Amino acid sequence: MTWDLLLGLFAAQFGLWWVILPGILLGIVVGILPGFSPQNTLIMLLPLTLAVPVEQAFAFMVALYCANHLSGGVPAILVRIPGSGGAAATTLDGYPMTQKGQGQQALVLSFVASVFGGLITTLATLALLPWLSQIGLVLRSVEMVVVMLFGLTLIAVIAAKDTLKGLIAGFFGLLIGVIGTDHIYNAPRATFGFLELYDGVPIVAALIGLFAVSEALVMIEEKLIVAAEGRERAMRSNWSETLEGLRISLQKWWHIVWTAFVGLLIGIVPGAGASIAAFVAYQQSRMWSKHPELYGTGVPEGVIAPESANNGVTSGTLVPMMALGVPGGTTSAVMMIVLQYHGMVMGPQLFTSNPALAYGVFVSMAVAYIFMIFTILPLARYMSRIVLIETTYLAPIIILVTIVAAFSERQYLFDMGLALVFGVIGYIAHKTNYHVTAILIGIILGPLFERYLVRALRISEGDLMVLFSSPLGNTLWALLALSLALPFLRTWRQKKALAAERFGGES
Amino acid sequence: MPSNRPSPGKAPLGADLVIPALALGFAAYFFFSIADLVWEAKANGVLIGVILLALIAVQLARLGIRFARGEGDLRADPLWLPRDVLWKRIGMVALTVVFIAALPWLGLTLTLLLAMLAALRLMGVRKLSNLLWVSSGVAAAAYLLFIATLESTFPHGPIERLLAALFA
Repeated sequence: MTWDLLLGLFAAQFGLWWVILPGILLGIVVGILPGFSPQNTLIMLLPLTLAVPVEQAFAFMVALYCANHLSGGVPAILVRIPGSGGAAATTLDGYPMTQKGQGQQALVLSFVASVFGGLITTLATLALLPWLSQIGLVLRSVEMVVVMLFGLTLIAVIAAKDTLKGLIAGFFGLLIGVIGTDHIYNAPRATFGFLELYDGVPIVAALIGLFAVSEALVMIEEKLIVAAEGRERAMRSNWSETLEGLRISLQKWWHIVWTAFVGLLIGIVPGAGASIAAFVAYQQSRMWSKHPELYGTGVPEGVIAPESANNGVTSGTLVPMMALGVPGGTTSAVMMIVLQYHGMVMGPQLFTSNPALAYGVFVSMAVAYIFMIFTILPLARYMSRIVLIETTYLAPIIILVTIVAAFSERQYLFDMGLALVFGVIGYIAHKTNYHVTAILIGIILGPLFERYLVRALRISEGDLMVLFSSPLGNTLWALLALSLALPFLRTWRQKKALAAERFGGES
Repeated sequence: MPSNRPSPGKAPLGADLVIPALALGFAAYFFFSIADLVWEAKANGVLIGVILLALIAVQLARLGIRFARGEGDLRADPLWLPRDVLWKRIGMVALTVVFIAALPWLGLTLTLLLAMLAALRLMGVRKLSNLLWVSSGVAAAAYLLFIATLESTFPHGPIERLLAALFA
């Protein structure tokens, strides 16, 4: 790749502003509404993207995809309802900030972290593409099983106040994720006799039920989402809150950079996705923080880390598709269909046969992020006002509209009922501290976990010891054990320190 | 209202048993449903199910110890309290069931309009103008987004048929 080519690509992409801006706006709307995934929107728009020249189609799809990743954090911060699984970790500190009356600031932190996280990793991907594409090849089915369990364990440890409850919730979700026919013989399992469950549990219905419906059932206990002490601040919020958010973001620039790279590396692994990346980044951020005990109470780093990683994933997901011809997720699979329709053959040869398109995809992404910051940042002030709507209005709107949105993924009325069932389960989990996030991530990972586990077991002819047969896998197992032991170790040390303090005081 | 909030003293451990009980019941059904399948179809479920059962056993033991020490009882207060909101919650769930059931007959727009009116009334909104504006606004937005723009296959009712005839 030469500088001439790169500069030419940037100039060409800026010229496509009239395609990128509608893509961004549509992506923001789709990301804010739980139930609307970018892949479904892209599928609905396939007739359009197939009809226009491939450069324009790709600029539009990439802009929509990136904007969707960015805006999933908006409902996560304002009403604790993530627009997508990738924004689930943002609820942990974003929503407490809203309750304190700092919703506008949290939105700005989220937007800046998303845009710069996405931009930095996109530029890094452009430079390091040949090497990054090799990472996906190192991880085989055995390692992927451990990666999945590692992700789930991290979420259980981070999200839930009680690790055991978090693990029960995670494995409950993982078992729900196995509902449906198996990958090899198509034998139905635990479908309760419903044909609609043969394809597995629809993720959108689970997301809507566990987060939106359950949260709405909880929020009716209070008049407003914002806590009494934060109301005054939320009502008085003006542009200075946006500027304060920008100042904090600039102060934490290094945090944005390294958590974005966490997202990029995880995004390259096919199937791992934004939800795991966001949680791993959150956990790492907390682990290296000087004040880990404040995480979960509304700290800026708790919003920056997951949002930056969530957007670092966007370029990472496209790496295996462009370099190996293996789509890293559903959205990239839809993009691949469009490219193939236009006669492009994915894989290493694309970079020599059509470098303008191969690198142009990432340039398009970088340009979309640059446009995005100017589009969405001014909206933070107005978006944050939603928390001042009384819950007597907000709760019925959330429940009924999101239940309607549950229909959109597969167009089954059954999914609306299923979302309600998940809503009741989510409400119980919410009230008893079995974290709903762990259940949802379990449901998302369930089918992937099965695919990798069965593949590994078939290779070993059913011998479970295959899971401990690789050095990389064993290292991951050790890290998994460590991440499980750490919370108990921390509690034990705190108790010991407390006992010593008490003993010292008495003597 | 002190009766509306969990009482201090013994912890209501009954609430902590609900999710493990649901998980246990589901795991049992899962094992039953895969009993006759080949090993490839059940390996994953068995592995996850066994770990889940082990975790539930530890949780039950932990709750049992607290119960034996007299630290808690079998109340499930966190699920019901505050009691003044309980009926609103049950009402919203029941209303949503009716909404889904009525959808195939009345169509999306009319069902959503009626369900919004009922839900807002249930939540305590009394002002008629607010009831009408919010409900009709939500129903109109849903029509424009789902039926007019996205052409989703929602059941059509009298409003959708009327609008289709007007704009055909």
